[in-house]
Amino acid sequence: MNFLIRRFRPEQIRELFLILLIVLVVAFFSTQISGYFNARFINRISTSVVVVAILAVGQTLVFLTRNFDLSVGSITGFTAYFVGQQLWWHQDIPPLAAVLLAIGVGAFMGSINGVLVAYGKVPSIITTISTLAIYRSVLVEYSDAVPITTNNLPDWIVKLPAVSLIEVGDVQFRLVFAVLLLVVLVFQLVLSYLPFGRRLYAIGSNPDAAQIAGFPAQRIVFMAFVLSGGLAGLAGFIFLARFGNISVLAGIGLEFASIAAVVVGGVSNMGGSGTVFGALLGAVLIDLLENSLFRWQIISEFWRDAILGMLILLAVAIDYVVIGRLRMMWARAELQMESEEPQTEPEVAINVR
Amino acid sequence: MNGKTQEELTPEKKPILEMRHISKRFDMTQALDDVSFDLYPGEIHGLVGENGAGKSTLIKIITGVYSPDRGEILLDGTPVQIHNSQEAQAFGIAAIYQEPMVFPDLNVAENIFISHRDRGPVVRWGKMCEDAQAILAELDVRLDVRMAARGLTLAAQQAVEIAKAISLNVRVLIMDEPTASLSSHEVAQLFKLTRSLSSQGVSILFIGHRLEEVFEISDRVTVLRDGKKISSRLRDEVTSEGVIRDMVGRPVSDFFAKESTDRGELLMSVRDLGKENVFHGINFDVYRGEVLGFAGLIGSRRTDVGLALFGVEPADSGEILFEGKPHKIHSPQQALKLGIAYATEDRRQLGLNLPMSIASNISLPMLPRYLNRLGLVRRRDEVSTAEEFRQRLSIRTSSVMVEVEKLSGGNQQKVMLSKWLNADPKLLILDEPTRGIDVGAKAEVHHMINDLAARGLAVILISSDLPEVLAMSDRILVMREGRQMGVFEHADATQEEVMTAAMGQSSKVREVAQ
Repeated sequence: MNFLIRRFRPEQIRELFLILLIVLVVAFFSTQISGYFNARFINRISTSVVVVAILAVGQTLVFLTRNFDLSVGSITGFTAYFVGQQLWWHQDIPPLAAVLLAIGVGAFMGSINGVLVAYGKVPSIITTISTLAIYRSVLVEYSDAVPITTNNLPDWIVKLPAVSLIEVGDVQFRLVFAVLLLVVLVFQLVLSYLPFGRRLYAIGSNPDAAQIAGFPAQRIVFMAFVLSGGLAGLAGFIFLARFGNISVLAGIGLEFASIAAVVVGGVSNMGGSGTVFGALLGAVLIDLLENSLFRWQIISEFWRDAILGMLILLAVAIDYVVIGRLRMMWARAELQMESEEPQTEPEVAINVR
Repeated sequence: MNGKTQEELTPEKKPILEMRHISKRFDMTQALDDVSFDLYPGEIHGLVGENGAGKSTLIKIITGVYSPDRGEILLDGTPVQIHNSQEAQAFGIAAIYQEPMVFPDLNVAENIFISHRDRGPVVRWGKMCEDAQAILAELDVRLDVRMAARGLTLAAQQAVEIAKAISLNVRVLIMDEPTASLSSHEVAQLFKLTRSLSSQGVSILFIGHRLEEVFEISDRVTVLRDGKKISSRLRDEVTSEGVIRDMVGRPVSDFFAKESTDRGELLMSVRDLGKENVFHGINFDVYRGEVLGFAGLIGSRRTDVGLALFGVEPADSGEILFEGKPHKIHSPQQALKLGIAYATEDRRQLGLNLPMSIASNISLPMLPRYLNRLGLVRRRDEVSTAEEFRQRLSIRTSSVMVEVEKLSGGNQQKVMLSKWLNADPKLLILDEPTRGIDVGAKAEVHHMINDLAARGLAVILISSDLPEVLAMSDRILVMREGRQMGVFEHADATQEEVMTAAMGQSSKVREVAQ
């Protein structure tokens, strides 16, 4: 036990648990569906998970500050449409410029959320549920209900999702998945090594103390929303590439998928704890379940959402019960190690919140 | 530990922090009135005073949370303006509080360095941990700096806060009742730390509510009372009697005289009431027609006893006999049924529904009484009840349909009293009924308490206002840190005696409590 405690923190245990759960899900469906686990399936998951997982990264940043970003579904939809339309009208826009345009538009929309929440002190749930609706209406008005189709788009973007960097047998390591891994890696490093990242944890961990500690808490919350918006923009670009046909309904429901992913991935809705890597695992698990249930004919499609909902409840229950226990054990173990020096006071108060 | 002498403090040393003629007013209360105060390098300066004496306001002015209405602050002889905690930090002023302000999800090293801006664009974990370890070693504190702050004891969290202050090159450290939740062993550790800081030249302002601790640690002791500085003496010149005299000594004249009422029959007996880690060994009787005062300082757990009697946070040991029968009170509904009502200290948050009308507030706990056969509220009855109380307690309002949030504090207090009186209680627990209301309204509330007692109601009056408790109560139960220190009769209680018991000074009182 002590070995475990020395090696891992409770959060890491949870991530290991998620990986185990993913393996179990795969193993279970392999027994249920013939020809379930093959190269094509891996390729499909690694492509379909990208949009939600990128959104989950942004959602993690916002969650860490004890806020929500519900507007990401509409931001993704709007940028997908907007960038698609620009590419339709100007076929010669270079790919990199298109990506940056998507990120920029998303970040701008996120900055509106950020101003309202960080400086205007409007609760994030109210702010982003409003902008969710507003951005959707902006899309409807802007598009005039004219959908974008694959035929209108330049060739390169339509083929983008299938672009593969490395192939091992039939398993492809696709570009979009590489982009996702890059995003996860960058933000994992930001959260671990930049003062900005650490302060995100600090603010969610104890907002009162953040006020007293004397760092610009408002600006940091604002930046979290800008980054979440920017990542939603990037997700919008990938959404466009993946589907090609963009209507005013694009991206509806993605906000819930991203929140589900971070909650299952162990990011605390009370702020202060969780990792980007956990959110990625959460997104993978949910996507895997959705894809698998879709192919598992026993379960009616109406039950799929219910299973997802139960998964979220399970994740939260684990968070409160198991992780709380683990933390207590960790704290005790630390105290034991500490108290190798003689202690005069018999009782030791453990203040685990 | 002997205090420093005047020579040690003053010669050629100039005060590091001077506050000159500081005044601060909040609405009705003069929180600070012309307070001057100085702090020398390396000095440990104790600051004591009753609840509401102005200690917190003074700290908040030094740390830039409030700005003074009048007066100036000098650092090293230069006048300065401190607008927020960031600026205070830049001046080398830091504060640690009773509840440490740590970030539970960050580790110890990060907590120590969280406010730093000079450590480069990237967090270097290795170096940060080494530096944190070095600071803690200097303080002789053993902690794993890579451990999350969540699991730390309060004492360890305070050590982290002190380390944080040191890392910021603090010159003035304010400690606001840091020992409140510590065990005696932990207090000794904290004091060792404090002395080692002061020997390094850091000035410490130590706010305490346990006199023996303040005397043990301080070089000088300053007493505040009602926003004024009463005295400032060197350690060797102070006595606990002298300090207590300075702390109390408020005129009682502006209070409603106690009307002696005949004590009725025994209503409730409380035997050995306790709640783990909160209070224990509470014993008292309440009679009909009597006002029983609960005195004590902040942290004495008087309110917790009140909440236990009302079943909000039930006690877990001991016995309550109500009208001769034993009862376990485990919910407010049950308490109300027995005839116990509790008017809370925090009327804005817990006592009243601010956006609702006076009439709806008053009828709320007794709503079933106001339902017609269809289960709908009979508005007319609600209104007539409210009108009745409006007259009886002279609630000043244009109509009983006015929202409570539009009333003044005193009138809100009366609405809350009406709400509980409407339940026809036999025992009314009043928690700080006059806090934050003006003098006129206060007198009315006092008059009402007398009136209620005269009608045979038993009243438990919890109040931090010592002269008020003394003037209003037939008997006074004094608590300190969850323990009952004694019960005084109205006739022979003096402010000094009650304060002495509340601060746990006299051994005589301890014997009474056993």
